Amino acid sequence: MSVNQKKIRNFCIVAHIDHGKSTLADRLMEKTGQVSQRDMEEQLLDSMDLERERGITIKLTPVRMFYKAKDGEEYILNLIDTPGHVDFTYEVSRSLKACEGAILIVDATQGVQAQTLANAYLAIDNDLEIMPVINKMDLASARPDEAAEELENILGVDASDAPRISAKNGLNIEEVLEQVVTKIPAPNGDASAPLKALIFDSYYDNFKGVICFVRIVDGSVKVGTKIKTFMSDKEFVVTEVGVFAPKMSPKEDLSAGEVGYIAASIKSIEDTAVGDTITTVENPAKQPLDGYKKALPMVFSGVFPLDGSKFNDLKDALLKLKLNDAALSIEPDSSAALGFGFRCGFLGLLHMDVIQERIEREFDIDIITTAPSVSYKVYKTDGSMMIVENPTHLPPTTEIDYMEEPVISASIFTPPEYVGPIMELCQYKRGVYKDLIYLDKTRVEMKYVLPLNEIIYDFFDSLKSRTKGYASFDYDVAGYQKSELVKLDMLLNGDICDALSVIVHKDKAYERGRQIAEKLKDVIPRQMFEIPIQAAVGGKIIARETVKAFRKDVLAKCYGGDVTRKKKLLEKQKEGKKKMRSIGTVEIPSEAFISILKTDSDD
Amino acid sequence: MSGIYIHVPFCKSKCTYCDFASFPKEIGKTESYFACLYREIEGRGRQLKDKTFSTVYIGGGTPSVVPSKFIAGAIRQVKKFFNLTPNAEITIEINPGTVDADKIKEYKSVGINRFSIGLQTGYDDQLKRLNRVHTAKDFLLCMNLLKGENVSADVLLGLADQTLEQVLKTAELAIAGGVKHISAYALTPEVGTPIYTDYLNGELPSGDEVADLYDGLKEYLKRKGFNRYEVSNFALDGFESKHNLNYWMRGEYIGLGVSASSFIDGRRFTNTFSIDEYMNAIIYNKSPEISSDVIEGDDAEFEFIMLALRTRYGIDLAEFKKQFGVDLKEKYKDVLALKAEYINVTDKNITIKDDYLYVQNDIIMAFLRD
Repeated sequence: MSVNQKKIRNFCIVAHIDHGKSTLADRLMEKTGQVSQRDMEEQLLDSMDLERERGITIKLTPVRMFYKAKDGEEYILNLIDTPGHVDFTYEVSRSLKACEGAILIVDATQGVQAQTLANAYLAIDNDLEIMPVINKMDLASARPDEAAEELENILGVDASDAPRISAKNGLNIEEVLEQVVTKIPAPNGDASAPLKALIFDSYYDNFKGVICFVRIVDGSVKVGTKIKTFMSDKEFVVTEVGVFAPKMSPKEDLSAGEVGYIAASIKSIEDTAVGDTITTVENPAKQPLDGYKKALPMVFSGVFPLDGSKFNDLKDALLKLKLNDAALSIEPDSSAALGFGFRCGFLGLLHMDVIQERIEREFDIDIITTAPSVSYKVYKTDGSMMIVENPTHLPPTTEIDYMEEPVISASIFTPPEYVGPIMELCQYKRGVYKDLIYLDKTRVEMKYVLPLNEIIYDFFDSLKSRTKGYASFDYDVAGYQKSELVKLDMLLNGDICDALSVIVHKDKAYERGRQIAEKLKDVIPRQMFEIPIQAAVGGKIIARETVKAFRKDVLAKCYGGDVTRKKKLLEKQKEGKKKMRSIGTVEIPSEAFISILKTDSDD
Repeated sequence: MSGIYIHVPFCKSKCTYCDFASFPKEIGKTESYFACLYREIEGRGRQLKDKTFSTVYIGGGTPSVVPSKFIAGAIRQVKKFFNLTPNAEITIEINPGTVDADKIKEYKSVGINRFSIGLQTGYDDQLKRLNRVHTAKDFLLCMNLLKGENVSADVLLGLADQTLEQVLKTAELAIAGGVKHISAYALTPEVGTPIYTDYLNGELPSGDEVADLYDGLKEYLKRKGFNRYEVSNFALDGFESKHNLNYWMRGEYIGLGVSASSFIDGRRFTNTFSIDEYMNAIIYNKSPEISSDVIEGDDAEFEFIMLALRTRYGIDLAEFKKQFGVDLKEKYKDVLALKAEYINVTDKNITIKDDYLYVQNDIIMAFLRD
């Protein structure tokens, strides 16, 4: 039996990070009786450990709620959660495609922030109805009138009747639900038309195969329906459909307007792509739905198993992660120092961090990640051009005519008192000043064009520390520009370690080389022999540090009663060494490879 | 060659670094403890009547705090129930300030012929900080009682603010007193001991600083005729500890008393660390053992290697082949190649080069099979 579309509201919540998105989602579920307060773990939607720990939302999680509105009718409210970080803009746009409206949360103490803007514009671009909500009314410093004014002035959104709530204390949550019903339009698909279901997320279940999270736009689907997608020729028979309540619960069918999931014994995780459209084999739709704007990886890094024999496990893990993370790109790679692995592309550093941690936690594979790089254009003297994402693939300088590096146009939003420090930072990061706009008396937008390779290191952290956390930052890709770039090699005990090479601007090479050498000195444990660490550009040594040989590494006593214990001690010590990678004769802990980007470059 | 170890779990007061089975508050149980110990000696002696033993070592705790009749009784009991070679090396650990001429006389009367004195340092302020009960002067008085005897002294490296000069003066004091053997241990702060707090507070010298003290002492002792024959042990020629050498050669030994470990017929086992549990077990004819492992295969080989490489004699290749039936040079070819820079390999033995004895863990670990 199909559901009356008029009684469905599909919406998402968008907000700047930490403005209370997950907390509001929890309150909505609680209010609609989806979960009792007692059963409720903090922030139910953030289901990954990682999300919970970091307090950020990364993966999308849809949930279905029932709400009896003041008009006496019962409505189905489908909430599709969205990630909050700039790295995950792409995932936000995926969930927006499945909705008709978006709740836009603004913190009553902070007002409109960078990602409030970015996400609101994304929602507007996707023709979503914007429903503003002013949160954190429980705080003494709340200034809701100013926040409402900002919403109107900056975004042009009417915030006069925006619910003023405290998601934390449950204040005015009812009003939010009521406005979802009255302000957000009902879906208007055609239930009798051929099936069009948008895949907005998916994951792999060991028993059911690939589970596709879908928004049914037109038509309907039920168990037994033969389906196919537009991008692949393969056909599948639906084994289960259902909704999220908030756990997956099977249902007879899904029809136009609904949000739910489809399982069809899809074994290969490569057969369904997020953004693709599902239709039926018997009565296929003629056109797919508008897909998503393809997200382009911006940051590239080598990912290698610590234990070389885990290569295939790592491959499986990456493919599974890629299934519901279209922005992750994977290519086989090999390194003289680290063996076989993958060159992965990420949206940004946080995305990279998250993927790395998920591999280690969810798949239990210890990995080594090399210093991130961006994608350079190398114009060779023979007139050809090559794209270099891996420093080791850079041709010899004699073959290079010139190089180009990717740049971004950055918008930095800050209170006016931090303009000076931010200008200094951007200058240091080789930024080109473009504009400075006073949005109101407390907020300035600074526009810069910055080389991406300066951003991927520690730009975000530096920005936060220079502005006591007040500034926020958003960016768009802005093409390539010619630049004087060199490859900086690191030598350990006289041998180049390819996994530590980075491409840097010529003027920064000396400084980076010195920083990396110092950092390596700190992270490489002392060994039986002295280890020289050198930084070199084009064969010329530009910096040197030394890890001294250790002097005492012995069990002071070993008599009759000590043998077993001492043996265990040595076994433990040896186990610790397994976390290290041998580069020639030098043993390096896996974190060394990533620590080189954590050089605090502006102190 | 096999050894007998006897543990005396009593002392006057607990030193700040001590994590041995030693209980100053339970000294009132001395008489009943020794009654049980005699019984264990008898039982073990009967079990091991086919084996011959050539060393006895009475350790603790502080064996010299208990009346000497108990020590003498234990030795007599050992001689009664074990096959002890006529010239057996019989050592007792003593602390300055806990012995007098009568005690020494009684020890010697039952055949004790080696004394190991806990000097630790020649500086009274340091001794006090370690909660030791004696002074440097007590040490000299004690040495006076032991004139002409085979005496060893323990010294500690890595005390708070300890200088090389202090270490060398301590060695000088010991040598002036007449010791023939010095054990120099780097202080190891064990979790749960009071000195661990000093360690956490950063009050103890770093590994590099301890290595400086060690190297300085090693040079000094060499000049005085004391050769290093094991990581922490130095002796005039002919005064090496036979009992301890047996451990490093992975010989057999029987441990008697609380917390004592044994290694007999490939089995390593250890008695309970509790005095009451020990006495109960003995009285009710139960085993006081709390752990027992048969060591075989690669584990046995590794123990042999780990122990032998501590000494200047190293791994005896013929002995290794005899015990394990394999050619070490063949089986551990990869390890020997990997660590070639740090070891001496001859037809007869493998030793760690002099300069690397104090950083040997890394070399030894390479022999551990996954």
